[in-house]
Amino acid sequence: MTETEQETVQAAPDLAALEQEGEIAADYIEGLLDIADIDGDIDMDVEGDRAVVSVVDVKGGDLVGPNGETLEALQELTRLAVHRQTGERSRLMLDVGGFREKRRAELSKLGAKIAEDVKRSGEPKPLQPMTPFERKIVHDAVAAAGLRSESEGEEPRRYVVVLPA
Amino acid sequence: MLEEALEHLVKGIVEHPDDVRVRARRIRTGRVLEVRVHPDDLGKVIGRGGRTAKALRTVINSLADGKFVRVDLLDLNEAR
Repeated sequence: MTETEQETVQAAPDLAALEQEGEIAADYIEGLLDIADIDGDIDMDVEGDRAVVSVVDVKGGDLVGPNGETLEALQELTRLAVHRQTGERSRLMLDVGGFREKRRAELSKLGAKIAEDVKRSGEPKPLQPMTPFERKIVHDAVAAAGLRSESEGEEPRRYVVVLPA
Repeated sequence: MLEEALEHLVKGIVEHPDDVRVRARRIRTGRVLEVRVHPDDLGKVIGRGGRTAKALRTVINSLADGKFVRVDLLDLNEAR
């Protein structure tokens, strides 16, 4: 992972604070589901140093959008809603209908495959532009395969390059 | 429903939720949702580089069943 991809360093929030983030986020999302008449259950979890709120068993409405664009927008708003109540910047992750989970599995596989390709060819390999969340998964998968990768380009067209050993 | 959804999304992120007003208007090309917020909150709902405004528009248009909806963000005192 390159430096720019690490978020601003701040004191790690404790578990109670992350659970509170989850509660605020869940209220915000639940309110939207009610209004938009979308059925779904809300799961709350803490993964490492971030709160995760997932809407599961979703029926009706599209809160994911093309390439997850609606999901990103909703996550952004949810983080702001948390920030307003806690005064702290939130790194909360929002998932809807398992979209991120699925994307994570696909990208892990992609990262591992590209790492093998690069080991064989010895040539650096640039990938498609991805969101920071997606690049992080690819970087991790490449590192697990024993190679290095970095990000190049500017948002929103920033992309991962897998480097030969 | 869209007015209510927008009101909910905006109220959750501003310092003065009681001052949030949403009004729907029809124009020739479709619908406009006009959101008015406390003057101190306008910067917040627009966000850096319009990032928050863009997020609000994305979510609302996603809920609008393929019909384009314009979202205007205004200060409570702005005349229209």
